Amino acid sequence: MTLIPSYRSRPSALHAARARVGAGFCCAFALVGALYRNPLILGAALAGILLAGFAAGVGREVGRSLRLAVPFALLVALVNALVYQQGETLLVRGDEFLGRRWDVTLEATVEGLMNGMRIVVLIAALGGLMSAAVDPDQLLKALRRISYRSALTASLATRLVPVLARDAARMGDAARCRPHPPGRLAVVRAALAGALDRAVDVAAALEVRGYSLAGRPARRRRPASRHDLRVGLAALAIAGIAIGAAVAGVGHVEAYPTLDVAAGPAELAVASALVLLGGAPLLGRAARLGVAHA
Amino acid sequence: MPEPLVQAERFSYAYPEGGPAASLHEISLELEPGTFTVLAGVSGSGKSTLLRALCGLVPHFHGGVASGVLRVGGLDVREHGPGELAAVCGTVFQEPETQVVMGGVRAELELPLEHRGEPAPAVARAVEETALSLGIGHLLERRTDTLSGGELQRVAIAAAMVHGPELLLLDEPTSQLDPVAGDELVWLLRRLNEDWGTAVVVAEHRLERCLPAADRVISLVEGRIACDAPPREHLAWAAEAMPVLATPGARLFSLAGLSERPASVKEARAGLRGVHLEAPPTVAPDDRPRRRLLRRDNRPEPALALRGVWFEIEDGPSVLRGLDLELRPGERVALMGRNGAGKSTLLRLAKGLIEPTRGRVERAGEVALLLQNPGDYLIHEHAVDDAGSRGVAAAGLEGREQANPRDLSGGERQRLALEVVMGGDQPPAAVLLDEPTRGMDRAHKDALAARVAVLDAAVVVATHDTEFAASFAQRVVLLGQGVVIGDGAPAEVLAGGRHFSTEVARVTGGAALLPEQAAALIEPARVVR
Repeated sequence: MTLIPSYRSRPSALHAARARVGAGFCCAFALVGALYRNPLILGAALAGILLAGFAAGVGREVGRSLRLAVPFALLVALVNALVYQQGETLLVRGDEFLGRRWDVTLEATVEGLMNGMRIVVLIAALGGLMSAAVDPDQLLKALRRISYRSALTASLATRLVPVLARDAARMGDAARCRPHPPGRLAVVRAALAGALDRAVDVAAALEVRGYSLAGRPARRRRPASRHDLRVGLAALAIAGIAIGAAVAGVGHVEAYPTLDVAAGPAELAVASALVLLGGAPLLGRAARLGVAHA
Repeated sequence: MPEPLVQAERFSYAYPEGGPAASLHEISLELEPGTFTVLAGVSGSGKSTLLRALCGLVPHFHGGVASGVLRVGGLDVREHGPGELAAVCGTVFQEPETQVVMGGVRAELELPLEHRGEPAPAVARAVEETALSLGIGHLLERRTDTLSGGELQRVAIAAAMVHGPELLLLDEPTSQLDPVAGDELVWLLRRLNEDWGTAVVVAEHRLERCLPAADRVISLVEGRIACDAPPREHLAWAAEAMPVLATPGARLFSLAGLSERPASVKEARAGLRGVHLEAPPTVAPDDRPRRRLLRRDNRPEPALALRGVWFEIEDGPSVLRGLDLELRPGERVALMGRNGAGKSTLLRLAKGLIEPTRGRVERAGEVALLLQNPGDYLIHEHAVDDAGSRGVAAAGLEGREQANPRDLSGGERQRLALEVVMGGDQPPAAVLLDEPTRGMDRAHKDALAARVAVLDAAVVVATHDTEFAASFAQRVVLLGQGVVIGDGAPAEVLAGGRHFSTEVARVTGGAALLPEQAAALIEPARVVR
């Protein structure tokens, strides 16, 4: 079980929307994580992502990505609390070490937690929701018109990573089967050689599929589905609200010297909108129409 | 007379220095459109090299030196690379995992057409039609990493055929598949050949699978064409010149002194009926399992025992359900069952790579386990570093201690890996092999059977290969749904089955499993007649 989920086709509006639109929806939530430190807004974004995840049938996958994100976020919080000495509310008075005092302040700790939350939102949006609900082939196909070979290489990488992971697991099992298990370096070297063999095989397969003649693929026009429109509008709304509110100074946070976290009506409105927009395009009868493959 | 699709005139090829040994010598042949051709030959005879030359990978991808003429669809392979030749021929290799390059099935089928700059409506139509024709319409929205080996191989064929080439080249496409998937694939090729008129060239070790569909068999020996003939003539040639290239049915007729060379089970049955040679439906008493001949008091302690073993996957199925199995020292057991029946899981539990969720595993000593890919065990630069000089000698590789294991043939790697896992301080109590004969020719299978026959340990081979099981095992254990559904001598388990039976058993109605046994039964009958 990997913490970063892989895409599986499911009957949901997010899966049914075209890949660019689905990716835009996830990136809009990631934008909130990039623009804000306000815990109320970040918490709402996370709630919106989780709601979208459950509505799209990938709630467990998004939850799994949080298992990767939360320890990382706590590490950021810990480092921030130890490294930054600003803030007036002393929590722990530390000793002198390496020529400096190691005090821990409430402000530095909260600042660290807020930065950690940003990381959680980014990982949940991109590593969780997008990985599980947006078809990477379709997404990279859209990019192939811009840079064909780079996008195809990225497609191959996404395809081969699990194959190579399985190879490595197999080699690990083989090493355990030897009466005298070999050194880790020897196994790593053999695994690397195996990966190169795989790469040569894939290169041969691409050659016989006409890769050397490849040009820019033709544009494919498809009528926009209801899910393209609904998810796309939600993505635009989330991005618009995030940018507009940030420009307007909503969600203001000042950590030092004392904590000042804005939590007024404007922040509550933005937070409510984020939660609603996470679920709105993916819930209700309209979101269930035409989502399964025939 | 149609223009030949493939035309070779004294075509020769040598790999660059340090590459694989197989090369081609003065190949001359012509293949007409719409023909079904089987390439036969032992490992290293040049089958794969010839296929790679036909699709242009040789010499453009692999390098090396080519001479003579080889034209495919009018294109000289020395002047036109694989990209240009791809318009004429589709190519499918042995390993399904690495020839499916995209994450989704639909994207995989679209890729070759995108390479050619086809407009979107043409791409959509070609993908739809190809998928429906090849019976993979239901897989179009699946991710490729969720497909079985047989499904992956079908997708690879669809991707090779989606642009409508006249020629389809396949390099041992069934070697990584179970028998059912392998048979389905051959039927699919037959349909492509008959319905679409696609010329098919397939390299295959298990000739009995392909010969009924073939128009022609080209046998290669050390890179040269040794025989180029229709299936029955090929079998007549093989019986005299190269018995390892004969099917079990043909070997049976040859050993029984019958002049016909049947290319299919149906022909073999008809051949036997034609001369009124009905083999008696009896089982030789010596074939009964040795363990049943031993009195309970005299039976040695088990080398390996599984007692009430369950293996249940979290959020998944129960792979094994209360399985009981005892293996005695020196016993030769073939473990059979369809994919997912629990064979590999059982072996892993026996070795201790995984633990049962209930029940226990008792081992009288070390357990040696050789998993499916022998290359995983060979991680050093020199064979001697992996197996020691004693192991290299036991693998029959004396004088090649310094050889890089990657330069060894598949069969040699298998033998060397077996010595690696058996190379402990004490001889193992049990030796377990998981699908060791995949992609092996008959000569290598015989060598493997001979190696394990001299071991004192209990030997368990998980296999789909009924011919190998019949020749090697004293006991066949059949798994289904995580429980033992058959356990007995090969003659009991493999004779009457529809799926788990040998070709000779199907020909003789279960009277015998192997050509030698059947010939022995037929000979007296003929005398009586």
